[in-house]
Amino acid sequence: MERYLGIPIKELIDRFPDVGAILDGRGIGCVPCSVGSCLFGDIMEIHNLSLEDENALMKQVASVVAPGEDVRLPESRKSRPARPGGAALSPPMKLLVGEHTLIKRFIALVPELAERLELESEGGRQLVLDGVDFIRSYADRCHHAKEEDILFAYFDPELDILKAMHEDHRRGRGYVKGILGALERRDRDGVAANLFGYAGVLSEHIKKEDEILYPWMDRSLSVRQVGEMFSKFREADERFTDARAKYGIFVDTLEETFLERSAEVRR
Amino acid sequence: MSGFSGCPGSRTIEFKKEEAHEGTAAKVPSQLRQWPIQLHLVSPAAPYFQGADVVLAADCVPFAMANFHNDYLKGKALAIACPKLDGGQEVYIEKIRALYEESGINTLTVLIMQVPCCRGLLATAVQALQGSSRKVPIRYAVVSLQGEVLQEEWIET
Repeated sequence: MERYLGIPIKELIDRFPDVGAILDGRGIGCVPCSVGSCLFGDIMEIHNLSLEDENALMKQVASVVAPGEDVRLPESRKSRPARPGGAALSPPMKLLVGEHTLIKRFIALVPELAERLELESEGGRQLVLDGVDFIRSYADRCHHAKEEDILFAYFDPELDILKAMHEDHRRGRGYVKGILGALERRDRDGVAANLFGYAGVLSEHIKKEDEILYPWMDRSLSVRQVGEMFSKFREADERFTDARAKYGIFVDTLEETFLERSAEVRR
Repeated sequence: MSGFSGCPGSRTIEFKKEEAHEGTAAKVPSQLRQWPIQLHLVSPAAPYFQGADVVLAADCVPFAMANFHNDYLKGKALAIACPKLDGGQEVYIEKIRALYEESGINTLTVLIMQVPCCRGLLATAVQALQGSSRKVPIRYAVVSLQGEVLQEEWIET
């Protein structure tokens, strides 16, 4: 069984599709991941299941990949320390989760935005440009830059989970380019498809970070590193003080506009 | 029912221990890097506080917790206080605020006992942060009378 811990998860799921369903049943969403290069053993470490849950999951996986073999967990996983009250995120991680909230509010508006695209009018095109500005300035420069330049720098860049996060950022930026290209061609369907593409990547990405990556990173960081990161985030935010307020108002206004229009349509 | 109705912090309890084995334990070195340590006596201007990760421990914590030096004190500066018995605690708020603002400390870890009166030390650290122009992450741990960590959390800043 232990030999399977060193196999990239996508390869393992490709060879044994039932493993994907087993992981899914435990809330471990590796099946839709676009990269899938994380090793099975690392996924166990990152998700930090209780010993009982991890043993049960390993038995399920073993029954698929190595029926009849004994299941033995690596020693380090058996002896992990209990972490009383360790679930609460540190202040810098909470700040990142808080930034996700505004991005998720914008993503939730994408279906309305796509439905009401008016590329023939100046105002309609400007709305798309404003959305792109939100993505590039707030989601990317203010939020993703904190992750890529500060948080991820505390970890080995060769970690597969970090490569997967970088890949998500890269795909998100690709969709933004796609939005602008389609806008230039007045291609309404192209703009909508890229907006939905962006929303899909970011929704999954944020869920992975909030529920899995940030808690795992927080468990790995020392108190010293948390303090340093907090100071660096605050320094970075000082450059974005006005922008944070501006983009908060942008999403507020978008929500009010769309909610108002939806109410009018219902009437 | 024990029949005890007074302050839990003053309740008399005896912990029965097995006889310790002799001659096998290695000598554990102290991780203390400074003097003084009492909160009234320390100066926020002291070099060991500048940019440091600081532990603010209730007086009883290091006695209850066998691994205090290695688990919490190592690599950190220290201040100790008793929120129940110390006088002049208004000075504590100003002194901790000076640690945040003037010493530029990196983090503050507040270690308190599980008895209710000990919460006052955490409240003092938080009150000082509320009055501070510079924000610092505060972590706290609640230690049982037998030295176990019952709870460990970051404070919302």
